[in-house]
Amino acid sequence: MQWTSLGLMERQRAGSKGTTTVLAVLLSSFLQAAGVGALHGSPVAENGSWAAEEAQGNASMEHTFFSLDYQHVQVPFEITLWIMLASLAKIAFHLYNKLPSVVPESCLLIFVGLIMGGIIYGLNDKSPPVMDSDIFFLYLLPPIVLDAGYFMPSRPFFENIGTILLYAVVGTIWNVFGIGFSLYGICQVRAFGLRDVSLLHNLLFGSLIAAVDPVAVLAVFEEIHVNEKLHILVFGESLLNDAVTVVLYKLFRSFCEMPAIKTVDVFAGVGKFFVVGIGGVLVGLTFGMTSAFTTRFTKDIRVIEPLFVFLYSYLSYLTAEMFHLSGIVAIIACAMGMKRYVEANISLKSHTTVKYFMKMWSSVSDTLIFIFLGVSTIGENHEWNWPYIFFTVIFCLVWRALGVLVLTFFVNRFHVNTVTSKDQFIIAYGGLRGAICFSLVFLLPDFRRKKLFIAATTVVILFTVFAQGMTIRPLVDLLHVKRKRESAPTVGEQIHIRFLDHLLAGIEDISGHWGQYYWKDKLEYFNSKYLQKFLLREYDQPKSSIVLLYEKLERKHAIELAEAGQLGHAPSHPSLLNSDRTVITEKKSEDALCPDGLEDIQEILARNLYRIRRTGPAYSRHTLPGETEPVEQAQEILILQRRSLRLDASGSDGISPRKEKEGSSLARGDSDVQPRLCRSLTVEDAEKVRAVKQNRSQSVCVIPARSKQEGAGKEMASDM
Amino acid sequence: SGAKPISHSQITRLYSRFTSLDKGENGTLSREDFQRIPELAINPLGDRIINAFFSEGEDQVNFRGFMRTLAHFRPIEDNEKSKDQNGPEPLNSRSNKLHFAFRLYDLDKDDKISRDELLQVLRMMVGVNISDEQLGSIADRTIQEADQDGDCAISFAEFVKVLEKVDVEQKMSIRFLH
Repeated sequence: MQWTSLGLMERQRAGSKGTTTVLAVLLSSFLQAAGVGALHGSPVAENGSWAAEEAQGNASMEHTFFSLDYQHVQVPFEITLWIMLASLAKIAFHLYNKLPSVVPESCLLIFVGLIMGGIIYGLNDKSPPVMDSDIFFLYLLPPIVLDAGYFMPSRPFFENIGTILLYAVVGTIWNVFGIGFSLYGICQVRAFGLRDVSLLHNLLFGSLIAAVDPVAVLAVFEEIHVNEKLHILVFGESLLNDAVTVVLYKLFRSFCEMPAIKTVDVFAGVGKFFVVGIGGVLVGLTFGMTSAFTTRFTKDIRVIEPLFVFLYSYLSYLTAEMFHLSGIVAIIACAMGMKRYVEANISLKSHTTVKYFMKMWSSVSDTLIFIFLGVSTIGENHEWNWPYIFFTVIFCLVWRALGVLVLTFFVNRFHVNTVTSKDQFIIAYGGLRGAICFSLVFLLPDFRRKKLFIAATTVVILFTVFAQGMTIRPLVDLLHVKRKRESAPTVGEQIHIRFLDHLLAGIEDISGHWGQYYWKDKLEYFNSKYLQKFLLREYDQPKSSIVLLYEKLERKHAIELAEAGQLGHAPSHPSLLNSDRTVITEKKSEDALCPDGLEDIQEILARNLYRIRRTGPAYSRHTLPGETEPVEQAQEILILQRRSLRLDASGSDGISPRKEKEGSSLARGDSDVQPRLCRSLTVEDAEKVRAVKQNRSQSVCVIPARSKQEGAGKEMASDM
Repeated sequence: SGAKPISHSQITRLYSRFTSLDKGENGTLSREDFQRIPELAINPLGDRIINAFFSEGEDQVNFRGFMRTLAHFRPIEDNEKSKDQNGPEPLNSRSNKLHFAFRLYDLDKDDKISRDELLQVLRMMVGVNISDEQLGSIADRTIQEADQDGDCAISFAEFVKVLEKVDVEQKMSIRFLH
């Protein structure tokens, strides 16, 4: 988004000191109360003459041993305090276990912001400064979008890309014009006193209020666990509609300033949309590829590897903004493009660092945004024309619902995986507005009715985040619960049902139910022939990510073994070990068939049956990928299958000796493993593989032979 | 075989899927070709599903066999239910679907799911934290609930009865195969 240049022009008017003045006020008040130092009790003037006063105050004292020089550290100090406040608020919410489940975190944060704003307003008797649009678009938004793009599960994203684009582009346009025109209709009603709000103004307002906000959507959908496809639809839409919003906002804004509008301008607008969107993607991909290429050479300086990921992504965002293209689309394209290659090139530790830092920054940004939203709400920036506001809220809901209905109708006609009506409801209801609208409305040119728009935007955002955010979870549960009201299934039913589910999932995978394989294959071909050679450090030893995953697993297990020193204590590893059994035998032998055992059994099944794939979102705000249940489950299944395969092959004579041998050979280090690994990947005949079973590394390649890759494997593990 | 033939576009789609899986390009799929599908590798029943495509003793499956197996998963059309009863039952009837699932349990093809076969499937579907004893009691319970003729095994009829309340048509149908 190229809001930032506009933001620069509006700086002075928007209360430019922004956060710093806010905190200056706060700090001065608190320090007064504590009686520290020699500050005067005068109220803070607008242009920060408080700093000058303080300097005077200090100069007039005698030498003291303790003096206060706040001005020196003011800016970093205040920024840190805000971030500290945000993080402490987060801790506080999670201390109350029940609270985050009832009220989504975003609501609580806005609430904290409201309180802070109220305090500042009360102390200072003037509106607290509004969140600076520059800070928002340049510093707070990119980390969140980067985090979203990097951990976006690419397979569901691309499978549903048609639907997502349809919702994002057509849906947003539909919403913009719908809301704009209907609000114009409302303005025509004489009684409301709004006749001076022109159609163009209404359309401009519509363009900024119609867009679904990724930050808010992410925050709320975190808490409700919908299925992966639904999650990706709403989330993908919220990210991609940025391109449309950019074009429409700029278009209407320039129309406002133009004396006459010709049709050629409208077509220029349409053309601009393509430029903005595709240009954003190109910029992002360029930076992504460059980043991948750079990491090819970082073998000897591993410590700065994570830095490249962040630098290039941020650069792509800024570059796109510089050219008035869509920064959000750029940064997403960059992250998704480079992920595969970068992860192959950088070390394991760098990889973990990247993941952790991304999550941390996006978390902080997210929290700060909501707090600032709350702070900025209080004050005298609003003109409360209740009919207009009321109708804005109504129209936002109505048009979104209509849009989703109509679009889904088309989607279901042409697509095989249908969007059910329950899904439609969640998509429509989950269209939350957030901080982007808020910042945009402050960037509007000053005209008579600007405050009206600000008020309407504020109410819409608060409504969506509070009312919709809080009620969406009970509604989702309600919709789900309807199916469960039948009697509890018997044990046999449960097992067979799960069996059928796994069966269906497998058949679907075989029949290629999902998605267009033609383009994917083409892309894979291009990738293996050209891109990998160029961007990967060790392209002649391509490892599928199943192998990588497996290696990581083995390594981890070997370390555990080495630490535990003895096989019997290996934590929760495949239960084919004899040691666990003895304890449980005594307890459970009585319950074998008596009816009381039923509850235990149900409980055991509920906890332990493997989940079918795709029942949960692969992306989550608070946990790192690779630490969630589906991945552990996948690892277990892989181990079990590998073990059973090896048992078949060798005729088991106990797992223990083999395991110890593996552990020790692993401890010797990776370098031995790799060359052997690459050779084994060329083995095609499963028979040959099974025959050479003593050598540890070749037993690893049983897995790749079983599920040989070419990128398809990478896809899977990256989705996990 | 089925009352309503599969549509031309679906055949084309399945055929392109078949060829994309067939890396050896010899017109048939081997087990390795199936195992190359990554999601199948982490499906607990992956191996058994793959085996279901291959006939007894065969190592390759051609497109016809591929489609035949997948045809079990076509949705049941409403009007088909009232079609002529004289003709052969279509592959995607409820009974045939259940029979397909039953065959996945019943490896030795004696038309009964014995306790051991059930245990094997359970072990595949369940996490690693369950002991063999617990698993055994679950299997016993399952058999006990289903068994009506007292032979400590589940016959096909008993299997069907257990699942009578379950919407098998929906659970075993892929929408696009219509």
